[in-house]
Amino acid sequence: MSQEIAVIGSPDFTTGFRLAGVRKFQNVADSEKDEHLDAAVEETLADDDVGIIVMHDEDLAHLSRNVRKSVEQSIEPTLVTLGAGGAGGGGLRDQIKRAIGIDLMEDENQ
Amino acid sequence: MAEDVKPTRKNLMEIEDRIELSERGHDTLEQKRDGLIMEFMDILDQAQDVRSGLSDDYERAQHKINMARAMEGDVAVRGAAAALKEYPEITTQSKNIMGVVVPQIESSRVKKSIDQRGYGLLGSSARIDEAADAYEELLESIILAAEVETAMKKMLHEIETTKRRVNALEFKVLPDLYEGQEYIEQKLEEQEREEIFRMKKIKAKKEEEEKEAKEADKAAAKEPGTATAD
Repeated sequence: MSQEIAVIGSPDFTTGFRLAGVRKFQNVADSEKDEHLDAAVEETLADDDVGIIVMHDEDLAHLSRNVRKSVEQSIEPTLVTLGAGGAGGGGLRDQIKRAIGIDLMEDENQ
Repeated sequence: MAEDVKPTRKNLMEIEDRIELSERGHDTLEQKRDGLIMEFMDILDQAQDVRSGLSDDYERAQHKINMARAMEGDVAVRGAAAALKEYPEITTQSKNIMGVVVPQIESSRVKKSIDQRGYGLLGSSARIDEAADAYEELLESIILAAEVETAMKKMLHEIETTKRRVNALEFKVLPDLYEGQEYIEQKLEEQEREEIFRMKKIKAKKEEEEKEAKEADKAAAKEPGTATAD
């Protein structure tokens, strides 16, 4: 089954992806992120046609705890975050620490 | 827990069988966990390369779109973005790494030529084309990152599950079984000692009874003799 890429974020963030042909996007203005970002992410997560969700790393801080956890742990669709040094998409670092017992991403960020 | 087990030979044999199975399972799961961690380390190296490439691509794409916005105006860029007709698609296949099914993502229509973009040659400028190019490259990196990061997430989930199973066997199941085994062995030894003691007591009682019977017989045998002598 073929799927698509979805982008969630401010209009400035999504415009570039739309230039590359991404047609599934959720524009949430910076001032409205606290109120509307959760709903946008939940809606995209529920869409079976979406295989990859692209978000800015800083936007994850606007999500509620449950939505953030579900988007970070989601395998289909997979979340790929951009910006903020790229320590690994959403919560991956914590997951590595928990599973392996040591912080393998430590070197990368120093 | 150990006190719940009935101290019988049958239960002892059952516990010994379970210990053997659990020890074998523990060793196998430990090997699986170590194997998964080694596979994960390979994927992690790959992921770190992909991540650094992704950051570079994102920075370049941002730079290009900012340039396009500055030169052509935000409205022109948004207009070009809204005109796109061809959209990138991804198809997912799977491969198996030590029992963990990880995805292999294939993409189509990510890189497009100018005439495939839909906004027309006259309606755009070179800067918008460059920005679109940069974002198409970024999308390719994102697809690669998604593939690697999904594999990482799945591997981590499997490592966590295996680790939990190993720990449960090592710190809960096996100690409980050893405790149960020790309890039954002690109880059976105690029963054996009691049995030996009881047998000894019975034997001593029997010997005493036999001795008394013999003495009584002797006494009875002596009685008529004494009577004759009198």
